[in-house]
Amino acid sequence: MSATTDLQPGRSGPRLSAAVRRGALPWLILAVVYALCVIASADFLTWHTIRLQLIQAAFIGLVAIGETLAILIGHIDLSIPWTITLTGIFATNLYAAHPHEWVAFGAAIGIGVAVGLVNMLGVYVLRVNSLIWTLSINLMLQGLTLIYTNAAAPTTVVPPAAKFLALGMVGEIPMAAVLWAVCAVIVIGALRFTPFGRAVYAIGSNELVALVSGIRLGRVYAAVFITSGVMAALVGLLLSGYSSQAYLGMGDDYLLPPVAAVVIGGSRLAGGEGGYGGSIAGAMTVILLEAMLITLNVSQGEREIVFGAILLALAFLFLGRSRR
Amino acid sequence: MSKMRDRLGEHIGPLCCAIGVIAVVALYAAYQPAILSAFGIASLANASVTLALAALGQTVVLMTGALDLSIGSEISLVNCFAATFMGDGTTSIVLVVIASLLIGVLAGAINGVVVAYGRVAPLIATFCTSFVYAGISLTLRPQPGGSIPDSFANLLTGNWGLLPFSAVLLLLAVLVIWLPVFRSRLGRFILAYGDNPDSAFASGIPVRRVGMAAYMLAGLFAAIAGLFLAAETTSGDPSIGNVYTLNSLAAAVLGGVALTGGRGSMIGPILGAILLSIILNVLSVVGISAFWQDFIEGGILILVLGLAGIRLLRAQSWTSLLGRSQS
Repeated sequence: MSATTDLQPGRSGPRLSAAVRRGALPWLILAVVYALCVIASADFLTWHTIRLQLIQAAFIGLVAIGETLAILIGHIDLSIPWTITLTGIFATNLYAAHPHEWVAFGAAIGIGVAVGLVNMLGVYVLRVNSLIWTLSINLMLQGLTLIYTNAAAPTTVVPPAAKFLALGMVGEIPMAAVLWAVCAVIVIGALRFTPFGRAVYAIGSNELVALVSGIRLGRVYAAVFITSGVMAALVGLLLSGYSSQAYLGMGDDYLLPPVAAVVIGGSRLAGGEGGYGGSIAGAMTVILLEAMLITLNVSQGEREIVFGAILLALAFLFLGRSRR
Repeated sequence: MSKMRDRLGEHIGPLCCAIGVIAVVALYAAYQPAILSAFGIASLANASVTLALAALGQTVVLMTGALDLSIGSEISLVNCFAATFMGDGTTSIVLVVIASLLIGVLAGAINGVVVAYGRVAPLIATFCTSFVYAGISLTLRPQPGGSIPDSFANLLTGNWGLLPFSAVLLLLAVLVIWLPVFRSRLGRFILAYGDNPDSAFASGIPVRRVGMAAYMLAGLFAAIAGLFLAAETTSGDPSIGNVYTLNSLAAAVLGGVALTGGRGSMIGPILGAILLSIILNVLSVVGISAFWQDFIEGGILILVLGLAGIRLLRAQSWTSLLGRSQS
């Protein structure tokens, strides 16, 4: 990343040393994991391999934008996998029927906004626990996708723009990474310098106080979940561009990794502390870990065990303790 | 008067479920009279018992004010273990059944240690362990398969006249596990802890051990459910339990178990599980395509959760819910 120094999370104030420690830790973890990767296979030193991992990390990183925001306000979004799949399949099909770029991207954004609003309705208005609600929405989206595709074969017509964003190159740097960097700068800026960012941290720290201080909770919730939905939908389009087709289950790998990226990135699962800078390191760490385990011929089941255990260890060690 | 309304409110969940079950079965019978035969009853019972057991396990944990998202994975784990190692001999069957139950309790104990002693938030903790357990089942059995001896399968899924053995199994689970626990001190501790953790702690209740016991009981119920699924499908499948995580939650909420802890019965979740299972069963029988299953399942879940949310909104002031992890 070009702007590493800009991307450190944490807040200034009396707890500066803790914030610095927390801000540096994700990058330290990333460095260790990268070193392990290099030990596992010297291929990880070549730019070709790094570039491939960077594209994968960009997908996780883009999704992690919404996940970071959701976790910062003390909630979580697990409706991402099937938002990705539904968008990928629906938008490419729509594009196959009406070959205009804006149709596909418009449909993607529409789906993202709709999913975000439904999530906000359950989590904010009805106060259902976000983990359960968004998981249920994920199940419903899965059903919706199955009904929509009705066992039809996926289309291989993909909007060129999606293809370019996923596979294109700017010089030696993948387009996906550039897009990721732009989005990252916007999110970090928004979290640090705008009223929206302050509201996000306030809600995560103490929602009642935030309400009493005159923060419009509903708007912040809507913004957070709509961002998450739209980013997932966008990644759905990018992923179908990446593999030149949309297919059932294409989003299945996006349930745990985005959460892991945010947690490794040092955001507190209970909300109110952290930032997107760490999530960038987290996204790369997750992808490198996965790549390393694949290089070492570790089966999918064992990979799940490792990820679950790592996330649990991190939650236990320093991040997600319940406040009881 | 208000006392009467309180008591009605306490039983409204099970009551609605009971009415729902009768209505759905009546509709079903009108459409397909064979359902009231011995075979039909056995198949309905078989379809509901797994969810009923999972819901009972979920309820124990819900009563402590926590939550178990790893129940589905625990079921898959036991299911895969049993289908892989059961063999044919009577000794091996008995040994595997005992080992399966122990695995369930052990998985629950790990959850309990992490939540009660590690103080990780229950949602996150069990969410993480669910991936660990799912990974173990996937490693144990990368593809669905394995075998279950007919004798074991018939023992759990057969029927004796109008009485399906699966119902007997559920009854046994209630009589041998649920009732003794909730007639004992432990049961009162669980409810007290769920109702108000702070005052439970202040009154000297060993809150950590109680929290841990709740997860172990949930694991035990999940193990029985996994064994039953193994008998029903006569094979092991690493993803077979997935649907039970959310559905057990829905069944418990339908049955009137408070997601905030401290309240719940045994009959409510069982009726809720039967209602949910029969509805899903009816859908496939009346010819609604399998593609609609997930959508309708998700829809029912959202409806149940949403209704519970609305009920909560009416009960308390909305602002008092802010910042707290509800339902």
